[in-house]
Amino acid sequence: MYPIIELGPLNLGSGALLLVIAVFVGHTRFERVARLRGGESLEYRASRCAPFALVGAAIGARLWYGLFNWDMYSQSPGLFLALRLGDLAWPGALIGGALTGYAYLRLRRMDDAAASLADAAALALPLAQAIASLGLLLSGDVLGAPTDLPWALPLFGVLRHPVALYYLLATLATWGALAWVARFASQPGTLAILYLALQGSALLVLEALRVDSLVTAGGVRVAQVVGLTMILMVLWWKRTHTAHAPQSL
Amino acid sequence: MGFFMTFSQKIWDLLFIATFLIGSAFIWMTRTTPGAASPTIAPAPAATQPAPLVGHPAPEFTLTAADGSQVALNDLRGRVVLINLWATWCPPCRAEMPAIQQAYERFRDQGFIVLAINQQEDVASVVTYMNDQRLTFPALLDSDARVAAAYQARVLPSSFFVDRRGIIRAVYRGPMSRGMIEGTIEQLIVETP
Repeated sequence: MYPIIELGPLNLGSGALLLVIAVFVGHTRFERVARLRGGESLEYRASRCAPFALVGAAIGARLWYGLFNWDMYSQSPGLFLALRLGDLAWPGALIGGALTGYAYLRLRRMDDAAASLADAAALALPLAQAIASLGLLLSGDVLGAPTDLPWALPLFGVLRHPVALYYLLATLATWGALAWVARFASQPGTLAILYLALQGSALLVLEALRVDSLVTAGGVRVAQVVGLTMILMVLWWKRTHTAHAPQSL
Repeated sequence: MGFFMTFSQKIWDLLFIATFLIGSAFIWMTRTTPGAASPTIAPAPAATQPAPLVGHPAPEFTLTAADGSQVALNDLRGRVVLINLWATWCPPCRAEMPAIQQAYERFRDQGFIVLAINQQEDVASVVTYMNDQRLTFPALLDSDARVAAAYQARVLPSSFFVDRRGIIRAVYRGPMSRGMIEGTIEQLIVETP
């Protein structure tokens, strides 16, 4: 665990540093993939929509965390604006970013490109997530359940599931699968749907190995509910499209 | 070109229902159960020499609290102690205080205490801050940075989790999340010395 990277007189939080790099890489790749897949027109739309989606993701991540830590956040509302990496939640970022990005496209009457931009985001997000997961691995911000498996990593004096590493591998696998499918999937939205299914599965399975999950009534982990919802959304979407169009993607 | 499998609508309905049921059952089976941890035996210390390192006895200190009382770490043997070195001018220190307070309220009846060791600020500033933020754990005054030196605190905040035997079990330099704080305390609080 290396929560602090010392660069001369500077002490930088490893998690925060890699999160900044992840955002930069994700943003750059989003625009590049948009250009490769849809030319300058799609790149222009991506570049216009990205800043709003990023702000929406940041707000969503903090609101989500605050909502599920309401006992603490209601006592100290200033925490909503605090620069704390540990107080961000990925499901909130995904929902906030997607909703804000789509709202911007609707407002600017560019929503005809929403599916293509969602595909570009699906190809850009996994690498950014992998970098952010590496940051969480270094900072120790994801506390796994104790285990004696050979690949367990020590954190706070206990051998634990390296859940941040699992997430890193899951996002790399997602990235590989999407890059492969992208070679022959022509229907806009296919990659985004596949991304939702794979990331939903990762959330559903891997979150079970954490001991610091955000929980709701009955001790149910919120991220698992989000993961299952993502998978069900994909199945419902597929069912609906099967009903209306006999051609598959 | 087809990528997803071409099932009939009925098959997709069945898949949807099966995924919902199996997924929900998995979520329920893997839900968190607070307080379910069974007592464990604390591992043997790695060393006998006091040092600000995991496995070593925590370096002893006695400091004056903001309320004027004297607090000695040795007197807290038998309790799980979070030693948190902080300052009011340090934004990450301020941002993690609510999470520490929540942990203190949740675990103090089980033998958990926080020693918030302020770095070289005047008592009035510390008392004002603690009252404004409604922080109820003891704030100690490290006026000459003696404890910061003993704990090699080059970064603020720096946190040390000390078990019931006085052994440092976790060290964290930098801000901690709520999950990290409470997860570590949950682990230590159930241990028998």
